[in-house]
Amino acid sequence: MRILLEPILIAILAGCAIFLIPKRFRRVTETFSLITSLYLFIAAIRIFVHPAIENRLFYLDGLSRLIVLAIGFFGVVVSLYSMRFMSSCKRFRSYYAYLVWTIGFSMLAAVSNNMILLLASWGFLGFTLFMLINVESPAAASISKKTFIIIGSSDALMLMGFAMLWLITGSLTLSGTRISIDNPLAFWSFLLIAIGAFAKAGAMPFHTWIPDTAKEAPIPVTAFLPASLDKLLGIYLLARLVLGLFILNKFSYALLMVIGAVTIVAAVMMALIQHDFKKLLGYHAVSQVGYMVLGIGTGNVMGIAGGLFHMLNHAIYKSCLFLSGGNVEYKTKTSELDSLGGLAKVMPLTFFTTLIASFAISGVPPFNGFFSKWMIYQGLIEKGRSGGVLWIFCIVAAMFGSALTLASFIKLIHAIFLGKAKGESRATSRRSRDEAPWSMWLPAMILAVLCIIFGIFAYVVPLKGLIMPALPSGLKFIGIWPSLKAALFLLIGLGVGFLIYLAGNFKGMRETSPYIGGEQLSKDMRLSGIEFYRTIEEMPFIKGLYLKAEGKLFDIYEQGKKLVFFFIRILQYLHNGVLPTYLVWCLLGMVVILFSIVR
Amino acid sequence: MLKYLFNFIIFPGFLFTAAVGLVASWIDRKVTARIQWRVGPPWYQPLADLVKLSIKEIMIPRDSYKPAFLISPLIGLSAVILASTFVWLPNLELAKTGFTGDIIVIIYLLTLPAIAIILGASASGNPLASLGVSREIKLILAYELPFIICLLVPIIKSNGLLRLGELVVYQRMNGSFISSPSGILAILVAIFCMQAKLGLVPFDVSEAETEIMAGTHIEYSGILLAVLKLTRFMMMVVVPVFLTTVFWGGFSVWKYVVLLVIIILMRNTNPRLRIDQAVRFFWGKMAAIAVIAVLLSVLGE
Repeated sequence: MRILLEPILIAILAGCAIFLIPKRFRRVTETFSLITSLYLFIAAIRIFVHPAIENRLFYLDGLSRLIVLAIGFFGVVVSLYSMRFMSSCKRFRSYYAYLVWTIGFSMLAAVSNNMILLLASWGFLGFTLFMLINVESPAAASISKKTFIIIGSSDALMLMGFAMLWLITGSLTLSGTRISIDNPLAFWSFLLIAIGAFAKAGAMPFHTWIPDTAKEAPIPVTAFLPASLDKLLGIYLLARLVLGLFILNKFSYALLMVIGAVTIVAAVMMALIQHDFKKLLGYHAVSQVGYMVLGIGTGNVMGIAGGLFHMLNHAIYKSCLFLSGGNVEYKTKTSELDSLGGLAKVMPLTFFTTLIASFAISGVPPFNGFFSKWMIYQGLIEKGRSGGVLWIFCIVAAMFGSALTLASFIKLIHAIFLGKAKGESRATSRRSRDEAPWSMWLPAMILAVLCIIFGIFAYVVPLKGLIMPALPSGLKFIGIWPSLKAALFLLIGLGVGFLIYLAGNFKGMRETSPYIGGEQLSKDMRLSGIEFYRTIEEMPFIKGLYLKAEGKLFDIYEQGKKLVFFFIRILQYLHNGVLPTYLVWCLLGMVVILFSIVR
Repeated sequence: MLKYLFNFIIFPGFLFTAAVGLVASWIDRKVTARIQWRVGPPWYQPLADLVKLSIKEIMIPRDSYKPAFLISPLIGLSAVILASTFVWLPNLELAKTGFTGDIIVIIYLLTLPAIAIILGASASGNPLASLGVSREIKLILAYELPFIICLLVPIIKSNGLLRLGELVVYQRMNGSFISSPSGILAILVAIFCMQAKLGLVPFDVSEAETEIMAGTHIEYSGILLAVLKLTRFMMMVVVPVFLTTVFWGGFSVWKYVVLLVIIILMRNTNPRLRIDQAVRFFWGKMAAIAVIAVLLSVLGE
């Protein structure tokens, strides 16, 4: 009990304390929040090794341990990164305070066993998210409002779902009950709570806040909340629902699978055509949720384990991508793909981290993303053994989505790092190395190395240590992708190729200018990468879909806005500001009241 | 471990597949020559070409990002060696080798050479190479969709077997998948996808020598080009063998030759497609046929 309460209380107090530090002492604030997050990480490790707890307020099992540990870890990484990236932020005190509070309340949400406690911490997280998004620029105000409305209204639906759950069970404690979903009230309760989870994690159709946030919010905030913490919590809640609270029926599993599959493909198609790398990454943060929901929707242990593993992997590589992107933005002051280019030579470390994370997210073996996707596919095929055709659609969506992911990352890497830079842009004027400061590349590097370790030693490190304890029944592998052996052999293969290279004539190696049919290469002869998929964009059917998406037809916020404004217009018509009209309404109302009393 | 090392480097991994690949490439050139009423090269010509490339000087474009430019041919080679080991072993030792889900791993590994060449070409800093990259990645997107769908046919028909070895055993017991309507449709689609995977006419858009001067390969020379060519030769072995294993009850020499002849004939009798035509072809006709094949297989045909 104390082990859980202590870090959360300290996080709350530390957040308050940050506001008390005078504004002059920026360094003190930064160091203080870094130390706090380090403390929280250590506390998370202590919670991780702590035996299970179950009482009226708290619930600690394998799953919540995993989430708490991950929250603590990402807290440290982002705090370290922010020290330099946010150094020009004026409202840095609120930034760090909300950061620390976010870590604390996320931990609270992950261990709470009481509906009210869970809802309160969940709601507070929505508030810190809102504050963090517009901490830097006023341009983000409308986006943070949109985020707050989507998250807030889904929280309200979730509250309703929990209320229904309370009606059924009559207790506020979450653990210890399993309700069959066949009862309509239970089904609606499940659906409403799941909407809360979906909005947090960013599954369709509640995803629209993520790409916009990614574009406008400071990068550490995006890397911290939509990319890692919100995914962890959203999927955590979903896993709790599926594994603990409810016994799902066929229909609800199918619903989850469809949501997952559609999210994967639709979001990645949108990512394909983005011109701003932050927005591109934002759409991927949506698309990857699809895999997690799909994995959990299979309902078998393999699929759920895959979904949870993918959640962890996604948090790692996506925050790595955002942080690396932050390095690029920090150095070049732009996130437009078209004005970037040729940064591989300038920022080799950032290039390396981006490359590794891109391979991981595209599911290239032997990195971690491949392992979890492979598990999800297996879960789907296992599901297919019991018949049905839905799994076929889902597996095609998942595998093809992986190819599309790869495609959009090729575009990103080509445009930012490998392709030529635009004529006179800032990036080209510097030929020499100009890497981001260590406090920025190091967090990204840690995450990139984790991508490799979690991929190669997947079975020994993350699965055995983190994922398997989180599942109720033991996960059995019939045969396993021998990632370590395969990685070793891929290395040997590189060695074989290197031996062949030795036979080559490297003495006669010389530098030449690129050959383009004998013409002189001029500065404007370049292909940035943003035009890569123009042919696909222009294809009949697909073009129509893209036009509709750009017209925000699939944005639940915009459509909701339209609906609200429709009703508002009716009300506006009534509220015309003319006193006699109001008097007439009052009179009418009184007549109705009188009539009902007299009758 | 030592056995695996042997499998990986000598037989049936690197050396064996490379040798078969050289022979296949020779057959390709010989048949092509005969079709065009020429004599054709002697049997050792592909090897002689590689040796010749190894003594040629290596040129590296000035603007390139050298580490990526130099290492990416190796990544492709390494991936294709691993893929060939995974594909061959179940054919040789049946159910003993492989692991559940190796079919998925092979699909991914077979894409790696293309990713490697994309990386290298992007790093070369040549706008024509960038154009090749753009075409190559679109081609991957194009053929990957029907390829995935048609590979589901054997999985569905065998009720969820995911291991190449088990698939071979299953086909030996129940007849190969190709003897059913869905299997025929599936392998038809797979053959077209194979042609695109190998980057041969009519899907050689990313190289298109007459348009963008070998596109992705434009800046590669000397031993670097030799490694790329070797990778290509090995792909010419691995992909057809993979198809025979999955759809056609396991490898045998004549099945491989049949597939090779189909590849060669297709490449000699067709003009190159534009990239948008290729994308439309795969996402339209091919995907539709693949879906029909899957539906048939669900119905048990």
